[in-house]
Amino acid sequence: MNPLYPTLKRGFLNGISITYKMVKVIVPCYIAIELIKHFGLIEVISTFFKPCMGIFGLPGESALGLIAGYFINLYAAIAVIAPLQLSSKDMTTIALMLGIAHSLPIETGVTRQTGVNAWLMLTARVVFSLFAGIVINLIWKLFL
Amino acid sequence: MEIILVALKDSLALTVKLLCIILPLSISYEFLKHRQSAIEKKHFAFLGISGKGFVPLVTGIIIGLTYGAGVIIYSIRTSNTSKKEAFLILLFLSICHAIIEDTLIFVVIGANGLVLIGFRFALAMILTYLIYRSRLFNAQFDCFPGKDGRIEQ
Repeated sequence: MNPLYPTLKRGFLNGISITYKMVKVIVPCYIAIELIKHFGLIEVISTFFKPCMGIFGLPGESALGLIAGYFINLYAAIAVIAPLQLSSKDMTTIALMLGIAHSLPIETGVTRQTGVNAWLMLTARVVFSLFAGIVINLIWKLFL
Repeated sequence: MEIILVALKDSLALTVKLLCIILPLSISYEFLKHRQSAIEKKHFAFLGISGKGFVPLVTGIIIGLTYGAGVIIYSIRTSNTSKKEAFLILLFLSICHAIIEDTLIFVVIGANGLVLIGFRFALAMILTYLIYRSRLFNAQFDCFPGKDGRIEQ
């Protein structure tokens, strides 16, 4: 038998199991956001978060995406952001911030096992994430 | 009720799009793990990361923390990486990890991939360099830093 086959199979099964985990998060989050939109709650949330999201040049409702990404995982964040129909610029800003800090409860656990101070790393990630959001907002403003 | 069905359909469509990205990636990760020893050992010395730290660094950049955790923890523990270096590696990775997957799944919903990769890589380089060179950081790990802030072995 071709020696590549077991590797290929393992990769395929991994992909399927990741997708299965993902569906369990994406579908409920997506439906929840559509319902929130439907009942007009999104405007309330948007006005509430407007002042702090303004620092990153983002609309208020994108705070939901950031919260989902920080505390749950990226797939939850995507399910939340996708129905909001943000511009490419806003999407890139959120993606950058979430790329730096996401699934914090799980990944802090991973970091701790390497023997590095996990709390320090957690703080660093959140700070870098916010910092990157502010910097990229300034860059967008300056050059575009 | 109708709105739930529409949302269900849309969310499944999004999942299928993500599946198209995740499946090829997870297959290539397995091939990458397979040939890990073949990764050329280059130095990220200017960031304070030696050849030993290169494997966990590259694994993290490409694969990410959750998925590559095993490889990262194993190589940091077994190769006698100093605490200082482990911190620098994780600092770099905290900003710049899973660079392929994270970027692609956001590109699906409309983000600009090049900006994402470029910005994260640059930010990780700059911050790791600054912290590697900072007095406070070196003082934490060694009481007698060298003249230029490096640790003398």
